[in-house]
Amino acid sequence: MFLTRSEYDRGVNTFSPEGRLFQVEYALEAIKLGSTTVGIQSSHGVVLAVEKRVTSTLMEASSVEKLVQIDKHLGCAMSGLVADARTMIDHARIEAQNHWFTYDENVKVESVTQSICELALRFGESADGGEAKMSRPFGIALLIAGVDENGPQLYVFSETYNLNRFFYHKVSCRSVSIEGFFLGTYTQYDAKAIGSGSEGAQTELQEQYHKSLTLKEAQSLALKVLKQVMEEKLNVSNVQVATVTVQDGFRILNEAELAETVNSLA
Amino acid sequence: MPYDPHPNHEGFLNSVGSPIQHRFNPHTDNGGTTLAIAGKDFCLVAGDTRQSEGYSINTRYAPKVHELSNGSVLATSGMYADSVNLVLNIETRLEWYKHKHNKTMSATASAQMLMTVLYQKRFFPYYVFNILGGVDEKGEGCVFSYDPVGCYRRETYQAHGSSAALIQPFLDNQCGAKHQNIKEELLTLDQAMKITKDAFASATERDIYTGDYLEIFVIKKSGVTKHKFDLKKD
Amino acid sequence: MALKFELPKSGFNFDNYNRNLILESKGLKSPKTIKTGTTIVGCVYKDGIVLGADTRATNGPIVADKNCEKIHYLAPNMYCCGAGTAADTEFTTNLISSKLELHRLATNRQSRVVTAMTMLKQMLFRYQGNIGAALVLGGYDVTGPHLYTIAPHGSTDKLPYVTMGSGSLAAMTIFENGWKKDMSREEAIEIVKDAIESGIFNDLGSGSNVDVVVITKDKTEVLRNYKRPNERVKKEQSYKYPRGTTAVLKTSIRNFVDVTEGVATPMDLS
Repeated sequence: MFLTRSEYDRGVNTFSPEGRLFQVEYALEAIKLGSTTVGIQSSHGVVLAVEKRVTSTLMEASSVEKLVQIDKHLGCAMSGLVADARTMIDHARIEAQNHWFTYDENVKVESVTQSICELALRFGESADGGEAKMSRPFGIALLIAGVDENGPQLYVFSETYNLNRFFYHKVSCRSVSIEGFFLGTYTQYDAKAIGSGSEGAQTELQEQYHKSLTLKEAQSLALKVLKQVMEEKLNVSNVQVATVTVQDGFRILNEAELAETVNSLA
Repeated sequence: MPYDPHPNHEGFLNSVGSPIQHRFNPHTDNGGTTLAIAGKDFCLVAGDTRQSEGYSINTRYAPKVHELSNGSVLATSGMYADSVNLVLNIETRLEWYKHKHNKTMSATASAQMLMTVLYQKRFFPYYVFNILGGVDEKGEGCVFSYDPVGCYRRETYQAHGSSAALIQPFLDNQCGAKHQNIKEELLTLDQAMKITKDAFASATERDIYTGDYLEIFVIKKSGVTKHKFDLKKD
Repeated sequence: MALKFELPKSGFNFDNYNRNLILESKGLKSPKTIKTGTTIVGCVYKDGIVLGADTRATNGPIVADKNCEKIHYLAPNMYCCGAGTAADTEFTTNLISSKLELHRLATNRQSRVVTAMTMLKQMLFRYQGNIGAALVLGGYDVTGPHLYTIAPHGSTDKLPYVTMGSGSLAAMTIFENGWKKDMSREEAIEIVKDAIESGIFNDLGSGSNVDVVVITKDKTEVLRNYKRPNERVKKEQSYKYPRGTTAVLKTSIRNFVDVTEGVATPMDLS
């Protein structure tokens, strides 16, 4: 993709003459290496499904954590450099708690997504000479699911604009600031796949998604899509599913519930 | 000669020979009374408009009840300068909230926010006794009562300020059905208006810091209306 | 012969002052004397003196009496307005009033204003300001009309128009603006009323009604509540409680006498 290595490769804040920030685009490559992650919004709730790459039989599958809770009504799935996500999740959790403390209400899904995007921009040297949060862009994409007064919603955060050319582009892409026109953006989706198998998965979602999906149907669809793009055979230990509903908030499906959905696919 | 941190010079000791203690008292009480009553589908917030210091009236019309941009009403008594700054601070936060979250702040959210704003100045407080009135998410009238450092609770009626000790027992009896062998019920708007007017007229009789004009704000789901009445000016 | 115990000297005894200082240093809160915010004025006119006062008595921020009397009788030809500690003005004027009465009985002459003024200032000076009385003294005697102020420490002023109390500055503005020499009775009452009203409306320590006293060569008129500019408005509703409002928690009826049926026995009158 970038055959000519140049001096524009080095600084995270240096544009190439073609107007690109190479380091940011490399971050996208990191995301492309990530495990496939699917999110589907239905009118009853949002479903998140992730592939867990169990690379060894000695590996404890349950210790792979790619679905995390942000607040009672908020959760997220990640793909890319999972370690980078920790910083973002911590930030989002603090934002959610601060909002609850200050306003005695749940933070909106969009607001918490926005705050993640703001964090994502804080890399490189800061303009006022202060310490920046990160020395490089985050190599991560997040599917952020939640319920608020606007119902169940799914947002995608990614470091670069490249991801946003996918389908189901529901609301116009918002930029966080002038730089954010292509850095640290977020977009709302009805259904979205990220990670290594995302291209195939997204095509599948495009065909299968419809507005009147029930939560159960959305769960099945998410796993069905994952199954098609996964190299390994899908089973209860190499996938994980979470739902966010008005009644229960964010909840990771237990083994029995997961088995039921997996078995229904066959 | 060894260093003496407190040399016996004039200015360090007073005429009796004990050290002079210097104090800084930046807070003043500008008097006045505020009151709020919650109803089934409305909230009434009232305050007199006299602003005074010592035995002097600074002005007969300095409103201490403020309509906020989110449709709530904040009644402030205590130090007027602090209340002006507090309202400015709250208004700024309401505006920022609107931009950040793309919605206006609810009455209950602003009630919680006011608490955090007040407590942030725990060791140099806004010397203001607040009552926040509005309509909650269910469309019911709500009254929140605060101390200057942010301790707050939801009430159905509350009086604050120089006549609080005169009016609160009256409200306990009339709004809270205290000492009456009857069931406590929420007041109608007409009843609340009458009780408020009588409470302020009576407070003006006996409290030198209450008087001049009475401003009553009525908050409903549909919006806020303001009424102004005369009080005695002596 | 030496007395076994030293008899106390006449007048106030300040021994308790030192005792109270010690008690206070140990944390005792001493009771506060009531100081009334007030507007009192006096004014000389062509035929005599007009005195004026408001009628509000305060206790801290609370109005203790909405219609009290602050113009005290000293003699038939002399009245004295009092500001400061209510008890002090009351007792000081009463004391001097009775002394003047005795003086009139002894001398069979009308009291002179300067006599009352001297007695008041000497008494107040003796107590070094501890009697918190600020007075406006006005009267008409054989030497003509006289108007004085007497401050709590005993200093006096003789002036054609005077004001005292917490509303004194507000009242003085009216005199400085409108007082003229040789005003008519109507003009003098009007300016006194305006001065008191200025205090009533602009000083929080003063309020309610205007009392006026007019003293001329051979007539003294007491115009109690000459003006009432602060009538209370009608209440919005009645607060009469219906019967049964107060809960009956328990009922217990006891007989304090035993009434027995029988033949009445005549009273023993022996």
